[in-house]
Amino acid sequence: MNFDPSEEQTMLADMADKLFGGHAAREMRDPEAEWRDSLSYGLTGLPFPERLGGLGGGHEEIMLIMEAMGRHLSHTPYLQAVLMAGRVLALADRAELSGLLEGGFRSALCLFEPGQRYCWDKPVTRAERSGEGWILDGAKLAVLDLDRRCALIVPASVPEGVGLFLVPPGSAGVALDIRPTPDGRTAANVALDRVRVPPGASIGDPAGNAALLSEVLDGAILASCAESIGAMERLLSLTVDYLNVREQFGVVIGTFQALQHRAADMLVAIERARSMTIYAASMMEAAAPHRTIAVAAARALVNQSSRFVGQQAIQLHGGIGLASECAAGAYFQRLTVLETLFGDTDHFLSIVEQGGGLPAD
Amino acid sequence: MDLEFTEDERQFRSEVRAYLLENVPERIRQAVYEERPIPRGWMVEAQQILNRAGYAVPHWPLEWGGRNWSPLKRAILAQEIDRNSVPKPLPFNVALIGPIIAAFGSEEQKRRFLPAIANLDLWFCQGFSEPNAGSDLASLKTTAVREGGHYRVNGRKIWTTYAHDADWIFCLVRTSKEERKQQGISFLLIDLASAGVEVRPIESIDGFHHLNEVLFEDVIVPAENLVGEEGEGWNYAKYLLGQERTSMGNVGFSRRRLDRARALAEKPRSGASGSLIDDPAFRRRLTWAELRLKALEITQMRVVASTPLQGVDPKTSILKTEGGEMLQEAAELLLATLGPEALTAGFPEEAGPEDSYGLDERSGILSAYFSSRKYSIFGGSNEIQRNILASAVLKLGRKR
Repeated sequence: MNFDPSEEQTMLADMADKLFGGHAAREMRDPEAEWRDSLSYGLTGLPFPERLGGLGGGHEEIMLIMEAMGRHLSHTPYLQAVLMAGRVLALADRAELSGLLEGGFRSALCLFEPGQRYCWDKPVTRAERSGEGWILDGAKLAVLDLDRRCALIVPASVPEGVGLFLVPPGSAGVALDIRPTPDGRTAANVALDRVRVPPGASIGDPAGNAALLSEVLDGAILASCAESIGAMERLLSLTVDYLNVREQFGVVIGTFQALQHRAADMLVAIERARSMTIYAASMMEAAAPHRTIAVAAARALVNQSSRFVGQQAIQLHGGIGLASECAAGAYFQRLTVLETLFGDTDHFLSIVEQGGGLPAD
Repeated sequence: MDLEFTEDERQFRSEVRAYLLENVPERIRQAVYEERPIPRGWMVEAQQILNRAGYAVPHWPLEWGGRNWSPLKRAILAQEIDRNSVPKPLPFNVALIGPIIAAFGSEEQKRRFLPAIANLDLWFCQGFSEPNAGSDLASLKTTAVREGGHYRVNGRKIWTTYAHDADWIFCLVRTSKEERKQQGISFLLIDLASAGVEVRPIESIDGFHHLNEVLFEDVIVPAENLVGEEGEGWNYAKYLLGQERTSMGNVGFSRRRLDRARALAEKPRSGASGSLIDDPAFRRRLTWAELRLKALEITQMRVVASTPLQGVDPKTSILKTEGGEMLQEAAELLLATLGPEALTAGFPEEAGPEDSYGLDERSGILSAYFSSRKYSIFGGSNEIQRNILASAVLKLGRKR
């Protein structure tokens, strides 16, 4: 075991820090500029194997740049376009991946459905054969960073299992309801009303697509854990800074032991989350059920830490913590979005329990 | 980064496990598993088995029996010892006084004490706390007055674990009165058989007798039993804080407790009520605990794998608080497996000859629950640890 980043990894982390830190310093967030920069700095190609035109980076590298995104509250649709939709394309060997790597093509994975909470492997959305192609009917929910120019990747039930369909932007029968998320990004609800797609739109193999999606999802959840850790660490440091300048009763409030201990508990919660995320990363090459349990366990603990750190940061800021002008709130909002993005804490604990607990070592 | 154990590390783990299971008698491991009081003779027996394999003091200097194992391997060793229900090498010997003598003792002291300490031929207990010096240890009042070739010691030490089993005690004593209370403290080794030493038992809430009060009345201690220089005792004690961190989190111990809680909860109950593990509330609590323990295990590895900082690494405070709370939570889960039997379980008898162990596994659980409150109190209470985290890591309360 060795937890120290290599020289290359340190350089990558520094680069990501500068890149997203620079964007954070701008007066207005510009997600499109961040997205273009992610591409030109090589981050878009990072997770893909070299034979597919990527840079062959591993989960550790992804975690380093996700941490930087969390630290700087990045608005780039990296998680969605690269780590979710992009990885589906890569694992299914789709030619559209080169469009992503060259720029110009973006897609979004539409995982969840109304009324189904976090269940994604038994879609109510259906695909029926129609001549050579397919007709899709159903609805999808809360698709992060779905832009009108994005193609949709839609899981839909077919007799053989889970079909995956690539729906071009602007297809007839697709209605998007794009809404702002609490952390300043967007999430869309998607209605699919007899959407016709050509034969080539079917991705992968319905019998194996659930396994493919599970692998993609586990990788994305791990990445989201790293993003949460980056956000939590910065939020704690903002809080400590505030405790060291804010004066009440004639002294800085950071001298009060009750507040010191709360901050110490936040630190402990963050270290716990980081350790569990490292554990999940070490399990990414394990057999699929073990990998999924380890990732679920990590996200459950990261969720717990996020909620504690987020809420206590607001508490320790006092009144100003409720004001939008205060940076702490934006971190709290981002942490909350990440907490509910792939499943809430109870959902992930249930996955761990149904899988029989953490794998023995 | 390499987030998985290397082949070498895995192999070391299986070697250790095989040696422990083959060499430590089952009667001892069973008694430890059931958390019964372990007779002194069994503790000595177990430590000598460990010492034969180099497992008792691997962190010591090579010439005194240490091994050139990485901190990570030593952490693996510590975990396996606990997880396989082998009594830990006596911490007062191997983790406290041994390293102090190795670092600051005279050649004569090293030759005289270190081999005996490693092999538990000589049993040390720790004389730090006093009735009015707990978290504020530096306000200790026990005095040692130099009179020619010896010191005359007067005072009281308290919460002295195993003093009734011990041969010697290492003490922080006041040898002079200085402006700062941390000054004028010295480190003294005292033979408990000396005239004027009285060991009084303190019965504790877990039904055991392991705590004691040790009284010193005009005890004559040869000056050669002073460790290092007079007045430097506080610095030597502080040196300990940054020392052996490989077992700080008590990961193997908590693992053993949680595995036991799961095993007990999975047992079918008589009647139609199913097993305790089928109770969603219990199961969720156990799941949380197992998750937290996995995180702690990785934190432990992160701490030992990192380059040691100069002086005290504040991350050890995280290990200390998390490790202690984890043991407490594991004890609570074990308690939950008892149900109403908690009322009748009673406290355990000391493990005896081979035929008397394993008769009533419930008593040790009850006792462990009460006993585990100590983990957030001794060695710097969890509140003190949070003070350290707030000041040393977060730099709270001062301008940056």
